[in-house]
Amino acid sequence: MGSKNMAERVEITAGDRPVREINQDIRGQVQAGKPIVVSNTMSRHNLGVGLPAGADILFKGSVGYYCGGLNDGARIHVTRDCGWGVGEAMATGHITVDGYAGMSAGASMLGGSIHVRGNAGPRCGVAMKGGDIIVEGSIGYLSGFMAHAGRIIALGGTDDAAGDSLWGGEVWVDGPIGSLGVDSKIIEPDSVEVESVEALLAQHGLDGSGRDWKKIVSAQRLWHFESRDARAWLMI
Amino acid sequence: MADDLKTPWEYPFEPAAEELIGFADGAIENRPAGIPSSYDRGGSIRWTPESISEIHALSQLGRYQIRGFNTFNKSFPTLDDLVFVPATMTRLPLEGYRESCDTGTVLGDRPGLVEQPLELDIPIYIASMSFGALSAPAKAALGYGASKVGSMTCTGEGGMLEDERRASQTLVYQMTPSRYMLDLEHLRKANAIELVVGQGAKPGTGGLLLGMKVSDRVADMRSLPTGVDQRSTVRHPDFLGADDMQIKIEELREATNYQVPIFLKMGATRPRWDVAIAAKAGVDVIVVDGAEGGTGASPELLMDHTGIPTMSAIPAAREALEDCGKADEVKLVAAGGIRSGADAAKCLALGADAVMVGLGSMIALGCNSPRYLESYQALGTSPGRCHHCHTGLCPVGVATQDPELESRIDVAAASERVARYLTAMTMEISLLAKACGKSSVHNLEKEDLRALSMEASAFTGVKMAGIDKPFTW
Repeated sequence: MGSKNMAERVEITAGDRPVREINQDIRGQVQAGKPIVVSNTMSRHNLGVGLPAGADILFKGSVGYYCGGLNDGARIHVTRDCGWGVGEAMATGHITVDGYAGMSAGASMLGGSIHVRGNAGPRCGVAMKGGDIIVEGSIGYLSGFMAHAGRIIALGGTDDAAGDSLWGGEVWVDGPIGSLGVDSKIIEPDSVEVESVEALLAQHGLDGSGRDWKKIVSAQRLWHFESRDARAWLMI
Repeated sequence: MADDLKTPWEYPFEPAAEELIGFADGAIENRPAGIPSSYDRGGSIRWTPESISEIHALSQLGRYQIRGFNTFNKSFPTLDDLVFVPATMTRLPLEGYRESCDTGTVLGDRPGLVEQPLELDIPIYIASMSFGALSAPAKAALGYGASKVGSMTCTGEGGMLEDERRASQTLVYQMTPSRYMLDLEHLRKANAIELVVGQGAKPGTGGLLLGMKVSDRVADMRSLPTGVDQRSTVRHPDFLGADDMQIKIEELREATNYQVPIFLKMGATRPRWDVAIAAKAGVDVIVVDGAEGGTGASPELLMDHTGIPTMSAIPAAREALEDCGKADEVKLVAAGGIRSGADAAKCLALGADAVMVGLGSMIALGCNSPRYLESYQALGTSPGRCHHCHTGLCPVGVATQDPELESRIDVAAASERVARYLTAMTMEISLLAKACGKSSVHNLEKEDLRALSMEASAFTGVKMAGIDKPFTW
């Protein structure tokens, strides 16, 4: 999508215009079926929020918080860095970030995918419910904090507390892990899972072969208080 | 002398025999009268029978106790400590049978920011209680009952249940830190969005749903493994302080195209500051949930030992809105232990624009009703005392996910009871308002109240009965 000829894209300038106006322009061009390039992004917050399938947007520069938040099918490309919560609560769609993905990338996302070419900040994939996050660089602390489902793939290692307090979901790491998070454990992935991850990486033009995968999952010790039996709570 | 009363003085007769001096209490031979009653009574104000059994429980469990319902802390003041002083000579009452009193309530009326404010017929709506904490039939019945009387419900944290969306004409959709199921599709089905930063029963902690209630359907809606003890996060995944939240609010407005109001729900802790910060951050409605607020499950100590009373939170929140110049833009909803129209009217008079009822509406559904007595007995409790919301073994099918138990709710009948409860409460409010000479329930004010206790006066700034001055420090 980044490769789409720039000349084919309708240009929208962000600058210091009200974000409501910028997003209105974006929605208007999306409705008209036009691919878009947003220039002079000035790290503005809430750019390209809640866009539908068919939207194709290139943000030329850095964006602020919640770019592509609540995404509902759009393909979004950010050529530089992101603030917090890029692609938060995304249901479907795809977001590519060429630079640094800030904190809480993909927070609580339900589906779709995020591809970060640089590093990702702390709490990447926090509370995520599905979908995939691929980070070519490293991920900050508390990756996948309290995630429910989905995959986080770090090709350049993670900082401390990797896979902290996972309900479910997986954090795949090639490279060093600062430390494991609370109630997480590393397990050996089977070949079918590795093939699936390699196939996902291949979709994004990445080579997954020959990697030293460490797959982090929930150790499930925090799943329950000490008893699953309702009778145990009756004395209260 | 003082420590030795044996003087040389002697009785002019033979000293009495020891067995004649002591007289027995008649129950146990030779037990002196007067003494055994203290054993029966248990006189310590620190080591009450309750605190002794609490230690027995903790010393066996090795963890805090968890239960549902609301606080058992007897030191909380009640709204019964306030009374109305209706119109007499200084004011003119309205004729109850022929003059009307407006009960319409608008929330989120902010032109330019909210295209579709919520217009309710009554100043009461059903509090945020999740599907998970409550059964699907209970959620549906609350929705239908509220719709019947022009009111609304709130999803609670468990995601948007189809049954409730169908039933509720107006539905507030909660965005809790756990964000179960939350995406654009569901946001756009909501009539309002509520950011949750806390709740009255357990401020400072996230939601809690024990595994017995995490059925397949609940687990699916929350994308959790079936049967886990779900402890939700308390901090939002993608914002921390008010500055971030301001951006989040803008995101929600963008995503919903400035159509619906944004609520913020907080537990009442420091409302004077918290409410001002939330108002400045740009929300349209602030819900202040007092410590008497109910819950499906909570560590018991949080219910009993955290948060401030609803009565004290409302005037503080109202003053905060006025102090920061937001009183005209931001509406205030009060919740936490509101039982009746009298309670609700007092909350309105203290400064709320509307009130939420949670437990009250559950009780209207049938909670603690004298039916299925053998089920209460099996839990070691009885109607009027049951607080088994946390175990999912609710005898009347309200706070359960058990198919057999939840089938005990007749949705049509329960809906009608909810509608009648809300109607009756509204009549009670307008009865009091008319007696105070008010043609709108929203004109009730602090001056319409007097306090029966110094405590109530000190908490609220309401004048003491007869003294006509508020307790001041």
